[in-house]
Amino acid sequence: MDTMTIIMESIIIGALVGFGVGAGAARMFHAPNVQGMGAFRTFGELNACEGDPISHFSFGLGFLFNSWASVVGAGAFTQDVEHRIIPNWAAAALLSRNRKVEETLHDPKKMAFAGAAIGVVIVTVMNSTAVAIPASLQVIATKVLVPAANWLINPVMPIVFWMAAIDAGQRSGTWATVLGGLSQLVMGNAVPGIVLGILIGKGVDDSGWNHITKTLVVAVVLLFVLSGFFRGFDAKLLNEFHIGVPAGLIEFHKIFGSVVK
Amino acid sequence: MENQERQAELTGFWYSEWAFVIFVAMLSAGIFAGTHMYYVYHIGAFNDIAIVAMLEGGIKTGAYGAAAAFGASFLFARVLEGPLVGILDIGGSLQTGIGIGVPAMLLGMGVTAPLTSFPLALATGGLLGVIIGTIIVLIRKYTISGNSSTFGADVMMGAGNASGRYLGPLIIISAAMASIPVGLGAVIGAGLFYVWQKPIAGGAILGAMLLGAFFPILIK
Repeated sequence: MDTMTIIMESIIIGALVGFGVGAGAARMFHAPNVQGMGAFRTFGELNACEGDPISHFSFGLGFLFNSWASVVGAGAFTQDVEHRIIPNWAAAALLSRNRKVEETLHDPKKMAFAGAAIGVVIVTVMNSTAVAIPASLQVIATKVLVPAANWLINPVMPIVFWMAAIDAGQRSGTWATVLGGLSQLVMGNAVPGIVLGILIGKGVDDSGWNHITKTLVVAVVLLFVLSGFFRGFDAKLLNEFHIGVPAGLIEFHKIFGSVVK
Repeated sequence: MENQERQAELTGFWYSEWAFVIFVAMLSAGIFAGTHMYYVYHIGAFNDIAIVAMLEGGIKTGAYGAAAAFGASFLFARVLEGPLVGILDIGGSLQTGIGIGVPAMLLGMGVTAPLTSFPLALATGGLLGVIIGTIIVLIRKYTISGNSSTFGADVMMGAGNASGRYLGPLIIISAAMASIPVGLGAVIGAGLFYVWQKPIAGGAILGAMLLGAFFPILIK
């Protein structure tokens, strides 16, 4: 009885998730004119496979074993199902019929339906199988792919974005350097800060200091202040400058349920 | 002419702002229902083991503060960042925020119904997705769109494309550090793929997995 329920629910979940991920991933290729959804790493990795169906498939496959083992062992899919497996396999399925990325990978409609189909299969199979994955393949994923993907996220992507920002002119270079460094401190990765730096720098280059660029700066400041607070950056900063954290601040953090030293 | 074509290409339902709200709602519904699966059957949460463990810690001890704060902070930061950079990070906003943070908050308040009932889980996730999608579209309206500047989109696209090229060599380096057979497999696979004019990342992974299946990495 439980098995049937799990399969039925998995089919619905897989379809919903795959549809959203597929459409969001295709829309990333039209950002920022169109709002995309996914991740910078997904975007970079989809580009890395250069529209070759076998590369997209094998990249997704590499992460499949790890995710499968994780869901069998701990009930957690890992974020890779949505970041890597569904987008890459949806791309592989479409590209195997038509090699033009403009008509396949970049098309939200096609990616949404391909993603939904892949999502149904993956989520259902993963949730309903308790069969262990060959341990040797699972080790490859954790020992080879995970470090490589982590290096890509940090420091390779930050450096590539940073160089692009510096080459794009003095204003975006300055903003990206400052915000990138701060973002590495506060958020643990420089890419969001650099992207925001390019956004502000290029925005001001193109249209000057109008209400839109000013709103952007205010939003960026707000983003840094609030994510710093919620990650306990304020308390960490005081500690590492050897200044005590006031009791009031600790209490203030407690209101939001986080514990800081 | 080409510009006009491009304009036409980016209009219609699949590229519209409100379609984005629908996509976010669907994805959120799926993710929240995934957490429902985890709560009831202990399978199918869409997140990494370490993050799911925070929710599990809450379920076991009743102290949901850590998971709730962690999830909420990611949700908040990513929802602000998403419309500014044009890509909403689903890992932080939806998988961690909606999938872990919100359930932790609900459970912390003693509300269990959205997590025990599948239809209610879908509805809750969908509703939260509509709210988040709408907020993002509104932020975009008041910042990015309606402006002639492209805000350096070309620079970011260029960097995004360039960074992907690094993955192939990184996989070979990582494979070579894992073990000799796996490293050789990655090198041979990557070499063959390069000669066949295919991206070397795919060849490196297939080569590493093939040799790794025959000569497993020794775990000390």
